[in-house]
Amino acid sequence: MDELTFRRRVYENPDTTDPEILRAAAEDPAKRLFLKETRQMNQRLKTAVNVDVPENLAHRLIWQQSAQQYNQQRRKQRWYVGVAASLALLIGITSSVWVMTPSDRLEDYALAHVTHLEKELPGSGYQTDLSLVNAKLASFGATLTDSIGDIEVANFCHLQLTRSLHVILNTPAGKMSVFVLPDDAGKELPDSFGNDIYEGKSFGVQKARIMVVGSKGADLTPLTEKLKHSIQFSA
Amino acid sequence: MKEKQQRYEALVHAFHADIYRYAYFLTREASIAEDIVQETFLRAWRSLDKLKDEKAAKSWLITILRRENARRFEKKQLDTVNIDEHEIADHTFESQDNLDSADLQRLISKLSEPYREPLILQLLFGFSGEEIAQELGLNKNTVMTRLFRARSQLKEILSKQYHPGGKQNG
Repeated sequence: MDELTFRRRVYENPDTTDPEILRAAAEDPAKRLFLKETRQMNQRLKTAVNVDVPENLAHRLIWQQSAQQYNQQRRKQRWYVGVAASLALLIGITSSVWVMTPSDRLEDYALAHVTHLEKELPGSGYQTDLSLVNAKLASFGATLTDSIGDIEVANFCHLQLTRSLHVILNTPAGKMSVFVLPDDAGKELPDSFGNDIYEGKSFGVQKARIMVVGSKGADLTPLTEKLKHSIQFSA
Repeated sequence: MKEKQQRYEALVHAFHADIYRYAYFLTREASIAEDIVQETFLRAWRSLDKLKDEKAAKSWLITILRRENARRFEKKQLDTVNIDEHEIADHTFESQDNLDSADLQRLISKLSEPYREPLILQLLFGFSGEEIAQELGLNKNTVMTRLFRARSQLKEILSKQYHPGGKQNG
């Protein structure tokens, strides 16, 4: 086998067990050295491609799927309630029957995420900071110029089909969540919303819509103001 | 539903690390890689019933991931600068023997995608030429040529940036 063919085939697959290659290497010291060096380099490349995997990635992948399933189940439950209510109507109980219709409102999805907040918070030692949040905010063309507080987690999540950045902070008024959404997806959001446990506000900033959610009665204004002052968008 | 949940969790535990690594070399940006891995597994969950053979799971996930990556370019919504590409131009290695994994990662990232992708499939998943060809929708000869060129280019970059004898030339 000529030198060029040999080198080509070794480069194509340094781990080759092709008898022709092995025989050529056994017969020629130069080829043997080339095969040895290429295999050594390949081994180092294999080690190099094993880059560190973000901590808790498996946990987050399972969490995001659970959150989605939770939302689907909620919709199904509403459907059953709807059927029950319709039956009640049919048998003549017509006064003040509350028919719950399936909700596709983003704020409901945000509240569901906050309800499941505990699951998102990793066990221990997981640190995030402004630069990490900014790396993720870059996909919205946004950046935070100042600290907005003690950030615990920043993670992409899906509110129905809308990709959102969910940031969880520790504030003097307890844990709060910030959701950053593309402007077009968030235009239907009401200025304020809530349920029995949480309440939230939403506001627009240039190219995005932001939701801030905290416990019912918590003062959302300080965080809202910090966000408005700190978030900047690229041109 | 419980069975589907268990299948999904097994899939996550078995493949998330290598799928993330593949995404990392495809996108060359850790936060984007993480993002598309999340999208990939979310899609995998939604269509898990379509996966009939667990043995095919790895290449099934790779296919979903590649589609997610392509979608990223369709959206054209990303506004990020690839730091690594700028960094490597000025990077020299004092000795080939002292190359650490970070140097080699930078080297691999410098390869253009048609060469980088088959090489990663071979290094990370141990795929054969046929398997890479099937995954990328190319013929085997093209794949073999790209693998050969990928390694030739690595060698070339190294010899350009390698200063024999350490600092004496620099």
